[in-house]
Formats: sequence, structure tokens, C-alpha cells
Amino acid sequence: MSEAVPRIAQIPNLVDLFPDKVQPDTRPGYQGYLVGREHLLEVVQRLRDEYGYDYLSSVTGVDYLPEGKMEVVYHLYKTLGGPALVLKVQMPREDPRVPSLVPLYRGAEFQEREAWDLLGIRFEGHPDLRRILMWEGFAGFPLRKDWREPYFEEEAKPFKSRWPEGFVFRAEDRNPFGDNVQYPPGFDPETWTPPDDEAIYRVLKRASEEDDLHADTLVVNLGPQHPSTHGVFRMVVSLSEETILDLKPVMGYLHRNHEKIGERNTFLQNMPFTDRLDYLCSMSNNFGYALAVEKLMGVKPPERAEYIRVMMAELTRFLNHIFAIGFLLNDLGAYFTPALYAIEERELILDIFEAVSGSRMMCNYFRFGGVARDVSPDILEKVRRLVYDRLPRKVDEMDEFLTRNEIVRERCEGVGVLTAEQAIANSASGPVLRASGVPYDVRRAEPYSIYDRLEFDVAVRYHGDIYDRYLIRLDEMRQSLRILQQVVRDIPEGPIMTGKPQYQVRVPPGEAYGRVEGPKGELGFYVVSNGKPNPWRYHVRAPSFINLTSLVDMARGAKVADVVAILGSIDIVLGEVDR
Amino acid sequence: MDAGLFWEWVIKSLIIVLMLTAGFAYATLYERRVIARIQVRIGPNRAGPFGLLQPVADGIKLIFKEELTPAGADKVLFFLAPIITVLPSLVITAVVPWGDTVVIGGRVIRLYLTDINVGILYILAVASISVYGIVLAGWASNNKYALLGGLRSTAQMISYELALGLSFVGPILLAGSLSLMDIINAQKHLWFVVLQPAAFLLYFLASLAEVNRAPFDMPEAEQELTAGYHAEYSGMKFALFFMAEYIKMIAVAMIGASLFLGGFMGPFVDRFPWLGPVYLFLKVAVWLFVMIWLRATLPRIRYDRLMQLGWKVMFPLGLLNAVVTAFVVVLVGG
Repeated sequence: MSEAVPRIAQIPNLVDLFPDKVQPDTRPGYQGYLVGREHLLEVVQRLRDEYGYDYLSSVTGVDYLPEGKMEVVYHLYKTLGGPALVLKVQMPREDPRVPSLVPLYRGAEFQEREAWDLLGIRFEGHPDLRRILMWEGFAGFPLRKDWREPYFEEEAKPFKSRWPEGFVFRAEDRNPFGDNVQYPPGFDPETWTPPDDEAIYRVLKRASEEDDLHADTLVVNLGPQHPSTHGVFRMVVSLSEETILDLKPVMGYLHRNHEKIGERNTFLQNMPFTDRLDYLCSMSNNFGYALAVEKLMGVKPPERAEYIRVMMAELTRFLNHIFAIGFLLNDLGAYFTPALYAIEERELILDIFEAVSGSRMMCNYFRFGGVARDVSPDILEKVRRLVYDRLPRKVDEMDEFLTRNEIVRERCEGVGVLTAEQAIANSASGPVLRASGVPYDVRRAEPYSIYDRLEFDVAVRYHGDIYDRYLIRLDEMRQSLRILQQVVRDIPEGPIMTGKPQYQVRVPPGEAYGRVEGPKGELGFYVVSNGKPNPWRYHVRAPSFINLTSLVDMARGAKVADVVAILGSIDIVLGEVDR
Repeated sequence: MDAGLFWEWVIKSLIIVLMLTAGFAYATLYERRVIARIQVRIGPNRAGPFGLLQPVADGIKLIFKEELTPAGADKVLFFLAPIITVLPSLVITAVVPWGDTVVIGGRVIRLYLTDINVGILYILAVASISVYGIVLAGWASNNKYALLGGLRSTAQMISYELALGLSFVGPILLAGSLSLMDIINAQKHLWFVVLQPAAFLLYFLASLAEVNRAPFDMPEAEQELTAGYHAEYSGMKFALFFMAEYIKMIAVAMIGASLFLGGFMGPFVDRFPWLGPVYLFLKVAVWLFVMIWLRATLPRIRYDRLMQLGWKVMFPLGLLNAVVTAFVVVLVGG
């Protein structure tokens, strides 16, 4: 090691660093290192403090039933950029315990709770290890491979009952009036009251007893039915007058166990299923999933397909951001006018999606090794007119109407501040991270597709308040238009698909983590294949979900009116949060 | 008192109440259509020509809706609150004249219900009552959002009543009377908005806060408090709150027009007294348009900033305006 290269710029070889604690993962198709669970905290702490792996992107578990093992997979990144460092901890299925990483990375909080909820892995030292997506009385851990739903038919689709003979019946029909829920033994739904509400209320911070005023603390549930939570999301808030003392997010009302269904589906069947995650940005979701599976398959889409993909992803980013700004203003109390102006532009982009994919929102447009249909010249012409003429004008219009509005500034500036350190520790991503002064963008940090050839700047703002999160979306819209202008200028002719389109793709065994810079942040798909037509593990690192970790930091000390705007400035979609 | 006078009063009162309730219905339509145009939409245009029957459809829907009373609510207060809110807004315009005198069938009829010599005082007193309805609604619902909304509106309305009252002082000093008729007559040649721009501004802002309109619609802030004090109300009780809000909008527009924009005064009103109500109607329509325009354009101000604005800017400004006006009146009019 030469003196010139500082440690933080090195990619460490963990086997040299921790000879007896770490070994490389040598399974075919796998990468990274296996760490003994007793050494995990020590290894990760050194990696974070000395080698700059300060960003914990993803924590998830895999149930390797045939081997009788559970595995927790960590994806660590440097906010300076570069590839992932993958760490794995293996443990016997009977004793799934690992030390929690929450003391090192607060961003692990929700993901570890999710892994506990769905896989039953116990994270020791986690401050608040409760179920997060399932309800408290739920029996079992649904993502374990030996867990079966009440109407279990078969391990994997396509189910024999529906295909290929075409004779369709549903398992529900065999037991028409039966329960579709399994209860744990001794559980009576009639008499049960949820214990988790009390648990939430108890951990909330209240007004201190020493306070001279002896002010009473008011606990208010904002949601799940609330006009400003953008869906069925619930914030339990303790208030002193109108000031927020503490806040606990409660989610899972829209939970449908996306990952379990994804593991039943074939690889291709998951493509339309990813549309349903963040239903505003189905193209970006497709992109991330396609990248992950393509990594496993080792295919690369042809040049034209790459351009089309980037075009769709950037159009998606534009429509998401303009929508987010419109609805942020709605949360600030502007009666729908900015939102409707935003929707007008969004409709124009949706027209293009409809023209290429046949659907406005659930596009299902990407395929492994390409895209589903070609973009015709007149659609391209439409895009050209949009990105050179109409959309830049509309961004400027938004800017002019909103940016210097006195009430907007007064409501947004200095409110809901998230510092850069907090943002990194909380694994915030996307506009939330960049508005806090961290210029981290997957498109530049670990370029995928053709982003390394395109000219654009990573937008960054430094105050970390609502106003900057609003401004950064404007900046990113302008950068997206810049990318789009290059794409429509340079798009080559050629095929749009590597190989033949096929219903059943062959995916060799192995694991892959594909991540894209989605409009809401880093969208990652962790896919494990065992060579069968269905993924063995299909995990989504949902940016909306993990960005919510920062909500508490932003909201403490703010007013009730602010928390609504703060939530709007994070820009969540519940389809993705709850999965 | 002859019987004719009695019937005249009854008929005029009925006309006022009917005009106000019809005005409420069409103010909602007016608002929806104007906001729709601002928001590049069309707005309701299905029920009747140009959507003119939309308020009727809305009314029928609300009448037939189920009325829910929360189990934990204080039943009596819950029932009374909408009534307490709506009554003051119906009676407040009794002292606002809509014209001078006309002659119908040889009988001289004054185009106003009454002209008491403390009309302004009456307006202030009655306006203050409606806050009871709102705070009681918030309290009686036994709902935290409603309670927060009720508390907010109490604080807001009490704070802004001061600024509102002080904005009245200018016109009163200039006209030398508390009667609205005298104030309007004093504006025969020059509207008070020219002489009292600060008071006009104060009145406009304070009245927005007083009737809970954007950007001061804190008590019912939909985004934070779901609906504020009327979160638990449904059916006709809910409609009564809305009725109160819209009638109050019309009322503050009428009062504001009378205080600052010359009321029913306008060209040729001396010769054709029937033009008076028309002028007043036009002024109210423009005033309402501005209120609707603001709602469609501006985000909401945060509650604590609203109180700051009320106490630290508008209240001192109102005091200053009153003092300066008094000085000038004494020096000039001496």
C-alpha cells in the first residue's frame, strides 16, 4: 500500500484485514464476504470509520431452507461512490440471531424490523424490534420458505390448475366460507385488542415533569385516514400545544407481501408486478428489476434499448418530481392549483408511456435484455417537442410562481432540517439525501446503463430543509431534461432486444443487487436465483420506506402544520412503503 | 306602529334571509367555477344550464345524508353549535343598507331593514358570537382534530377581532357616525378606500381571518386537521357550518363595500334608487372574486405566524391608523 492513496479511497480486502473473522463467499454466482455474527459489529465499525463505508444501503435476510441456514445480507457503500461491499452473516435456522446495526447506522432500523417481521431474524440490540408491516397478532414469519398461506396451492407459478390446460379454479372456491387468515393458537379476534398501540404510546416522549407549566401532552394519530399522509400511513404524534415532541411512524396498512408473491412468480411475471411498488414511477421500478436480473443472466441490452430505457427513466423522474412539487404545495395549503398545473404536464408524459407500452401507469415495458416495444419516430418527435420546448418552459413557470412566494418561503425555509450526517446515517437517498448536501447519485456513483456517457450534473443543495428539498426537485427536473435532450438527439437505430423475447428466461444460480437512482431515491432489487424459473429470494429496497427513517429527525420540534409539509417533502408512495 | 310597517319589516327580513341563503348556495357555485377556471378545469356544469342547479343538487344530497353524532359527543352542544354559528351570520347584515328609499304603490320604502345609530357596534357584537359556535363544535365533538381546530379558531378570531375593530375606526371618524347609512352617505363623492387605504387593507385581511378563508383558513386546515372543528359533522349540520362560512363571506363583503367602497352609491343612484342594490351586488361579487382568487392561489400561513401577524403587525398598525386619522380629522375638520 502506497502512502499516496488514503485509506478511504481503497477497496479493502477483508480477508487480509480480518484474517480469522471473515472469509470470501465462494458459492458460484455469489460475491462478498461471510462474517461470523460475533464479529459483525467490529468488522462493520472498522469499515465505516476507517474505510469510509458510511452508507448502509440494504439489509435483508434470505432463508436457505435446504441448507438449514438463514442469511442476513448487508450492502455497504461509500458516499464517495464506488461499488458495494457485500457482507453476509449466516446462522442456523433454529437460532436466527444477529447483532443489530442500528447503533452504527440508524438507517438499519426499519429494514431490520422488516427482516424480523417477515423472516423472524432477531436483531439483538435493536431499540424497537416490533413487527412493522404485518399486524401484531400475526402467526409465523411469511417469508420463511416453510410458511404457507391459508390458500396455499403450490410453491411456484404457473400453477398447474391454471396452465397449460386452461382449466381455472381458485383455492378459495374449495373452501368458500372458510377463513382466509390463520390465527396463532389461543387467539380470539373478537376479544383481542392490539397491543402495539399501547406500545407505541408508551415509547413516545412526553412533556417533561420538571417543566414549570405542567403542560399536558396530547397524543394525536395523524392517519391512517388522513388527507395529507398520501395514502394509509399513520404518524403517532405527541404534542405540546402545537409543537411536536415525538413521532412514531406506523405503516403496513397497504401490505400485501410483495416479496412472497414475487418469489412465487416467475422472473418475467415479476416485471409487471414491480409496477405496483411505486405506482407513479413504474418505468424506474422496471429498470431496477431488469438490471438485477440481467446481472444474473449476464445479458446486456442493445444500444437503442439502453437509450430508450434512459429516456423512460428520466421522463419518469420528471413526472414524479413535478407531481411531488405540486402536492407539496397542496400540503402547504395551496388549494390544488399547483397540483393541477403539475398534473397537466404529467398527463403529457403519460401519453408517451401509453403510446410505447399501452398503459399509462402500469407500464410493464422493460424486458430482460431490452424493452418490450420499439419507440416509433412520431413518438420520438413528440418527446423531442416536449423536452426541448414545453417542459423547460413549464419548469421555469413553476419556478417563477412558487420559488419566491413569500408564504412558501416562510413555511419551508429552515423547517424540517436534516443534516448531512443524519441523512447518511439514516440511509436517506435521492432528493432527501442530496438536499442535505451529500452529492450522492447512483447514476454517477456507480453508473449503470449509459449514464456514464451522458452529460449532467448531480444536483445538490446544502440546507436540508423543506425549501431545499423543493428546490432540488426543480434542479433535478432541469438535469433530467438535459439528459433527455441528449438522448433524443443521439438515439441510434437498431434492435431493441438481445436475443429472442421469451416467456421463461433461464437465470443461472447466484445473487445480484441491481440498483437505480429512482425519482424517490435509491431503488434496489436483491434477487437470488437457484436456477429454477422462480427467484428464490426477491427483495426490494424501497426508497420511500427507508427515507421515512428521517421523518422523526425532521419533525421533532416542528409544528403540526410542518409535519405534513415535511412528509410531503420526503415524497413517499405507500405502495412502495408497505409493499 | 301601524300594521303596514310591521309587515314591511317581516317582508324585508324574509328577503334578507332568502337572499343570503340563496347567496350562500350560489357563492359555492361561484367559487367552484372560478377556482376551476384558475386551475385549468371546467368545474361543475352538468346540473342545469352552466351548472346553475348544482347548489340544488348539493342541497338535496346533504339533506338526505345520514346525520351521525359521535358516541362520545356532548349531544346538546353538538346539536346547538351549528345553529349558534349560522344565526349571527344571518342577522349581521340587518344593518347594512342596500339602497336609499323607493316608492312602491305610493308608500315610501327604505331599502334597508333598520338603520340603528350604533350599527357598527352591532356588527362587531354579532360577529363575535359566531366564535362560540365554532369552539363549542370543536369541544362537543370529542375529537382531537376538532378540538385543535376549535382552539385555533378561537385564538384566531379573538386576535383578529381587534384589528377588525380598529379598521372600523377610520371610516367612523371620517363620517362622524356609527350608523352605516351615514357612513355611506359620507362617501357620496369620494370612497373611503382612497382616504383610508391602510384601514381598508386591515379590514380586508382581518375579515379573511374572521371568516376563516385562505390563506388564514387555519381552523379547518384540511391538510393538517382533516377538517378542523367540523370534522365530526355530517349531513345538514355540516351544511350549516358551510352556510355560515359563505354567508359570512357575503356579509363581510357587504360591510366592507359599505365602509370603504361607497356601499350602494354609484352613478345615477340618486335618480334611480333601484340601482343601489345592483351596485352593491356588483361590489360584493368583485369582493368575493378576490377572496376566491386568494384561496386558489396562496398556501396557508402557519398558525403561529398568523398570530404574530395579528398581534405584532396588524394590531399596532390599526392603532397607529386610528391615531393618525383622529389627528387629521381634528386638524382639518376642526
